[in-house]
Order: sequence, then C-alpha cells, then structure tokens
Amino acid sequence: MEEVRKFIVFTLKNQSYGVDVRQVHSIERLQKVTEVPRTASFIKGVINLRGTTIPVIDLRERLWIGETETTDESRFLIVEINEMQVGLLVDGANEVLDIGAEAIEPPPGMIAGVDAQYLEGVAKLREELLILLDLEHILDVNEVQEVKQAIN
Amino acid sequence: MARILVTDDAAFMRMQLKDIVTKLGHEVVGEAENGQVSVEMYQELKPDLVTMDITMPEMNGVDALKEIKKVDPDAKVIMCSAMGQQGMVVEAIQAGAKDFIVKPFTADRINEALSKAL
Amino acid sequence: MDTNDYIEIFLDESNEHLQAVNDQLLKLEKQSDDLSIVDEIFRSAHTLKGMAATMGYEDIASLTHNMENVLDKIRNSSLHVTTEVIDVTFTAVEALEEMVESIAGGNTGKKDVTDLIARLEAIENGKQPEESKEPVAAKEALESLDLDEYQLTVLDQAKEQGFEAYQMEVVLDEGCILKAARAYMVVEAVEQHGEIIKTSPTVEELEAGEVDRFSLIVLTKSPAADVKQSVHKVSEVESADISLYVAVKEEAAPATEEIAATTEEAQTEQKEETQKAVTSKTIRVNLERIDDLMNLFEEVVIDRSRLEDLASEIKNDALQETVEHMSRVSEDMQSLILTMRMVPVEQVFNRFPRMVRGLAKDLNKNLDLDIIGAETELDRTVIDEIGDPLVHLIRNSIDHGIESPEERKKAGKAEKGSLTLRAFHSGNHVFIEMEDDGAGINREKVAAKAIQNGVLTEAQLEKLSDQEVNELILASGFSTAETVSDISGRGVGLDVVKSKIESLGGKLSIESTQGKGSKFSIQLPLTLSILSTLLVDVSEEIYAIPLSSIIETLMLEEKEIMDAHGQRVIDFRGNIIPVVSLRKVFDVEESTTKDSSIQPIVVVKKGNKLTGILVDSFIGQKEVVLKSLGAYLKDVFAISGATILGDGRVALILDPNALVK
Repeated sequence: MEEVRKFIVFTLKNQSYGVDVRQVHSIERLQKVTEVPRTASFIKGVINLRGTTIPVIDLRERLWIGETETTDESRFLIVEINEMQVGLLVDGANEVLDIGAEAIEPPPGMIAGVDAQYLEGVAKLREELLILLDLEHILDVNEVQEVKQAIN
Repeated sequence: MARILVTDDAAFMRMQLKDIVTKLGHEVVGEAENGQVSVEMYQELKPDLVTMDITMPEMNGVDALKEIKKVDPDAKVIMCSAMGQQGMVVEAIQAGAKDFIVKPFTADRINEALSKAL
Repeated sequence: MDTNDYIEIFLDESNEHLQAVNDQLLKLEKQSDDLSIVDEIFRSAHTLKGMAATMGYEDIASLTHNMENVLDKIRNSSLHVTTEVIDVTFTAVEALEEMVESIAGGNTGKKDVTDLIARLEAIENGKQPEESKEPVAAKEALESLDLDEYQLTVLDQAKEQGFEAYQMEVVLDEGCILKAARAYMVVEAVEQHGEIIKTSPTVEELEAGEVDRFSLIVLTKSPAADVKQSVHKVSEVESADISLYVAVKEEAAPATEEIAATTEEAQTEQKEETQKAVTSKTIRVNLERIDDLMNLFEEVVIDRSRLEDLASEIKNDALQETVEHMSRVSEDMQSLILTMRMVPVEQVFNRFPRMVRGLAKDLNKNLDLDIIGAETELDRTVIDEIGDPLVHLIRNSIDHGIESPEERKKAGKAEKGSLTLRAFHSGNHVFIEMEDDGAGINREKVAAKAIQNGVLTEAQLEKLSDQEVNELILASGFSTAETVSDISGRGVGLDVVKSKIESLGGKLSIESTQGKGSKFSIQLPLTLSILSTLLVDVSEEIYAIPLSSIIETLMLEEKEIMDAHGQRVIDFRGNIIPVVSLRKVFDVEESTTKDSSIQPIVVVKKGNKLTGILVDSFIGQKEVVLKSLGAYLKDVFAISGATILGDGRVALILDPNALVK
C-alpha cells in the first residue's frame, strides 16, 4: 500500500504551500498582536490563544519573499514543532490534501523565491505545484537567535 | 520430662509423633484415635499435654479440645493441623489451644511447641 | 507486593533519616559524651536498615547494619566516640546518600561497600572484642506506623490514664506455614496486656493471608519486656522488637520515630521529640496537585481581571460589589495556595554543615558555620533550584574567602573563621545572605585578573568603584582561582551562579571589605508565577512593570528632565539619576503625539542603582499571571515574559533590571 500524507494547503503570494497536517494545531482568524520589541522583524509579536501566549511570525518575511499585507482571508496557522507552538501569518488556508509519497520530489535550488533550505520538497498536483515547507528548519530556535544577534 | 497424650486417627502419624516426642525426652502415656477417645483418656490419664489432630472421625479435634477444656480449663493442648486449616486452627486457639503444629512435623517445631507450652 | 508503590515514601523517609543522622553526627562531634545523640543516630540507622531491607536494597541494609553495630557499642559504653568513628560514619552516610540518590534516579542503588563495612567492623571489633549486643532493635525493623486522627485521640487519652504506647515489630519464622493463625496468636498474646490500636497490615489482611512480618501499636500498662516475653511464648516467632511509640504528626516526617524502650535516655528526650508529638494535623499532597491548583487559579486571576474590567464598564453597583468581594476572596486564596507551595529553606540548608565540615578539612581551614533563619519559607520551585548556586557560593567562600589558620593569626584574627548563612523575609522577597570574615575581595588581584582575561580594559577599570570591582568576579569569563583546586576548579565561575539566580527572578550582590570579609546577598521572589505590577502604556502597547522593582512613580514637567553629557537625567530626592525612554529603548515610532508637558516616570532600582523609566502614561496596579514567551522567543531584551489582561490582550512584562545602567 502506498504511503499517503495529509497536508494543510495555504497560500502566500498566490502560490500554494503545504505543511504536514500533524504539525498543525489549528487555523485561527487574525487577532490583536502585541508587538515584542527588539526581535527579528519577521516576529510580529505574541497573541493570546485561549489563555496561552503564542508568538506569531510573518511567514513571507521569514522566507525572505516580502512582507504580508493582511486581508480578510489572512489567517494564523498555529503549528507545533518540538512542543513549541508558533503562529504563522499566511494569506489564507482552507484545504486539506492527500498526497502520495511518490508525488513528492526533492526541492530544486530555489522555487518561487524560497530557498531550498526551508523546503521539504515539492508536489506536482494537477497543473499546480505545491511547495512543502520544512517547519523544523523554518522554526529552528538557534537560527532565530542568530538572526536576532545580527539585528542587535 | 512430660507425660503426653497423642491424638490422631492415623496410626502412622501417632507412631511418628510418639517417636519424636520420646526422642525429645518425654513420655507418651497414651494414644487416642479420635476426639471422643481422647477426652475419655484425658480424664483417666491426666497428662501434662495433649497433641490433638483436627480432622478425625467421631469427634473432631476442636470439639475434643472444647470438651477437655470443660473438664480442665488449664489443660495444655497443641493442635496438629494440615495446611489449609487456618480457620479451624484459629477457632482452636480461641477455644484455648496453646499452640499448633503443621504437618509434616519436624522435631524442631515439636520441640519448640512443647517447651513453650509446658 | 509491588515495591514501586513505596519507592517514593522510601526515598522521602530515607532522606529524612540520613539528614537526621547528619545533624546528630555533627552534634555528637561537639558533645561526644551525650549518648542520647547516639540513640537518635542509632534509631535512624535502624529504621533505614529496615526500610532498605524491606525494599531489597541490600547494600544499604548491610552498611546500616554495620553502622548500627558500632553505634550500639557506643550506646552501651563499650566503645567511645572518636574522630575516627565520626569520620567513618560520615563516609558511610555519604555512601548511603549516593545509594539513595541512585535509587531516586531509577537505578539499582548498588554500591561496593565492602571497604566501608570492613572499616566499621574494625572499629566495632578493634577496641572491645566481646559481644555485647543489645537484643532490642537488633533485628530488622519494618516501616513505622502512622495513626489516623481517631487513633491519635485514643492514644492521647490512654496516655493521660497512664497507659504507654509501644510499637512492636513481629517477624515470623521463615518456615511458618499457617501465618494467619500464628499472627492471630501473637495478637492474642499482646492483647493480654492491653489494647491494640493499630496493626500494619490491617487485622483483616493478617487474617487473610501470608504475612510474615507485621507491626502493631499497643496501649498497655505492662512493661515492654513483659509484652515482648508474651509474644516470644508464641511459637514460630523469629523476633519481636518493641519500642516506645512516638506519634509524629509533622508534615515533613510522617514516619514514627522509634525509641528503644530499654534505654533511659530515650525517655528523657529533648524538645524536638516532644514538639513532634504535639498534634498538628497534616496530610501529604502530591506536588503535582498543588501545581494543578495553581494553574487553575491563574486562570481565575485572568478571569477576575476580565470581570473587573466588565464591572467598571457596566457600572452596576451589585455587580461591582460582587466582583470586589470576589477579588478579595481570590487574593486570600492566592496567598493560601502560595503558602501551600512554600517549604522551609532548611531543606536546602541542612546539607551544608557537613559539606562545610568536609571542605574545611580538605582545605585545611578552620571555621564555624552559623545558620540563621532556616525556617524561612520559599516557593518549592525556587527551593529546587537554589541549592546548587548556594553550594557554589559556600565553596567559593571557604576556598577563597576564609584564610588558613596561620594567615588569620598573622592578620590578627581569630584562628577560627566564621561563615554565616542567613535567610529572612522582607516584603515580597526572601533574602539569603552568606557572610564570611575572611580576606575579602582583593581589588588589585581582581582588577589584574579582569584585564588579563579581557573582561575589561585598564581605562575602563579606573572608573570603577570598589563595589563595581567586586561585582567583576560575577562577570562571565572571570575566575579568581589562581590555582585550580579540587573545590572550585569545576570549570564554572560565579557568573553561572549569577545567571542562575537571575533566571529565578532573583538578584545577587556582593559587599566586601578587604581584610574583613565578604557578604553575598541573594534576593529571591516569593513566588514565580503571580506578580504585582504597574501597568503602563507605551505607544499603545501595555507593559507591566513588577512592583518589586519600583521605588516610586513621578509626574515631571518636561523641563525637569535635564541633559548631562548626552544622558537624560532627573533629580530624584537630591540624587541625579538617569532616565531612559521606553519608546527609545524599544524603538517604537513616536507617531502618536502625547501631552508633552507632563512626563510619567517610573523610578526602578537594581541593587542600589536607580533609573527612571519614561513611559506614555500610567494605567494602574494589577496582579498578573506570568506567562513565558516560550522557547521560540527566549532572551528577549528587557522582557521577562507576558501576561493576558482582562480584555484578552497580551501585555509584556518588563524586566527593569535590564534597563538600569
């Protein structure tokens, strides 16, 4: 039996991205963000998610592909990596897709402006390309620290 | 040295007991094969101590113990029991038995019981 | 039975007994002719042995057994207390502690103790070869018994009527077959003397099954020896140890202390023992439950904030009154819950006397350790963390502070140095101070070292006050040890201590006078999770400043803020103190114009340094629940965490320490 994985599909700059559904805690509407001063610019601040404070980051900025202008469609994708919850600001999220393991290919050097180091792979779907993100790397705390030090 | 009455329905057991008790330096003054006989012999022989098997025909050991205690409240009776007769043993203790020994007997155990009871 | 169920209580009690042995050994060293102390040690060792044997920890059992033999000879005056005896016993206790720790860590608790046992045996046999074994308590004991409230009442009343309570530990012969019947006979034999108020296991369990060892408590007017005699009349009883029963109702020590009935000294125990017998009803509660309660309560605090906000919006008198009442009640609840989490700092302190003794010996120093305020209570979470930093500071003091007796003599000081460990409450804080009368901090040495290690330059150094030079020894990359000794050469400097204490929300400061001594002061928060804060507004974000750091709030006119060498300063009660603008520090745009004539300033302190923090406006005082920003946002500058306000917004909690220059 072939392996099938489920992915949450969301958009950034009209491009579809996917993250493994097991890493997604919930999808939330936007709410007031409290800015945390003197942190990396992609860190938007913290939100109150039912009594817990959770940091949120602008995924576009994190992937170095610009800055997000929020719309009604914008969402916080709350993901959980290594018992750490982080909210990702994305342009919209509404779909869950089953993707067979054989449809996933290793990432090319760079795709849609996103460096391969942040990618797990790409999946060809119908006419569209789904970029699968490597959240472990994107949310690597050590890298955040390095970014922070570069700023200070 | 004490004068002892041995009560057991099995001749083999009486023999074994008699052997051990004698070797310990006591005298077996009588052998009873059931409770009824034991009670009668007790009144007749007035031994220093009685060993009393629990499961016997005619009158069981606990009843015999109670009868003996009626005639002589100071009677020293040691119950001989098999495994699994805990309830009977406790009843016998409540009725005034001095001690109990469990089959198979060992000389040490019998010696301990006798010296503590006497 | 599954011993795992008992492991926790075994560990708890073992530690208590080891601590008791420790304390008493130290006492014994000073009053070597006081046999009541030996008794206490004996009892603890004996109980330990019994517990360890029950749990199958043979190395502990055999080591304690040999300790017991030595102690027994001392009790019987056939052996005298010598330094050697104390030293070997201390070493044995250390080994025991290691084993218990190993068990706590999920390991086997095995250790090669043959050498120690040989040493104990040598002591035991060397001086007085003839056997003089005390029959009582020579056999293995069982776990001590606890009584419930009702049984305690019975016990108290019986004592008033002249009955004595004895605890008896009965072990049946290995070969005993009808154990229940045998136990019944033992019980009956004891009952000839009085009333049995407790057996362990219960009577039902005794009658039901194959229990070959059990304990009971009997109230009787008969002498202990008579009771024991009666039990020994029963066949197949291997041993029946009897001792005076002392009810212990203190939380930390649920176990009963055994008192050997045969020893005179035991009857005339000092106040400690009698204190324990005073009834104060306690139960043991799993720490997790208290943590859960605390977590739930934190949610209540958040909802309370929300209610307060709503009530003041809605302006309904009845509602407002209710909310106010609820606030008061929940404040009381809060302090209650906090109290439940409090444990005396003694738990940490009581391992120090022996450590100091050992260190002093190793380093050829002569000193006395004074502990003051061991009863001071601290939050459990803080207690768990504070031990290591304190150990480090003590090592540091003995290694670098206290001089050798010869040096002290030369300096005209008493040969014996003194180290004082002091804990006390003040306001919302607990202070722990460690003061020595040693050499103090040598400015030149420290300065030279700091430059050598590149902590700072010569030019920078000249500007520093003595106090600031002292604090250099807390800087990272600094280590004063000239020769790496066994003691402090562990590769960690005092900077680690400092950051540990700061991570607990505390502060570490040093006062030192060269030639006279040093004082390290640690200031710790009473609790870590609920803070009293002042809410302030800065560019439309709300920040919470812990009240514990705030000296005062000021409303100054713009012109009262002066400029000195490019630094904005104000005159605060005759002192010129710097002012920092939170907007500037946090780099938030000055977009919103505000009333420029009045400047709200929060004056905060760090040690004895003050700084004014300029904010947009004051909002008010609020109790808030500290929430971590999480692993993703660790080490954010000047922010110690976040909290959720009544309206659901997140406010950041300011760490004023980072802003004090």
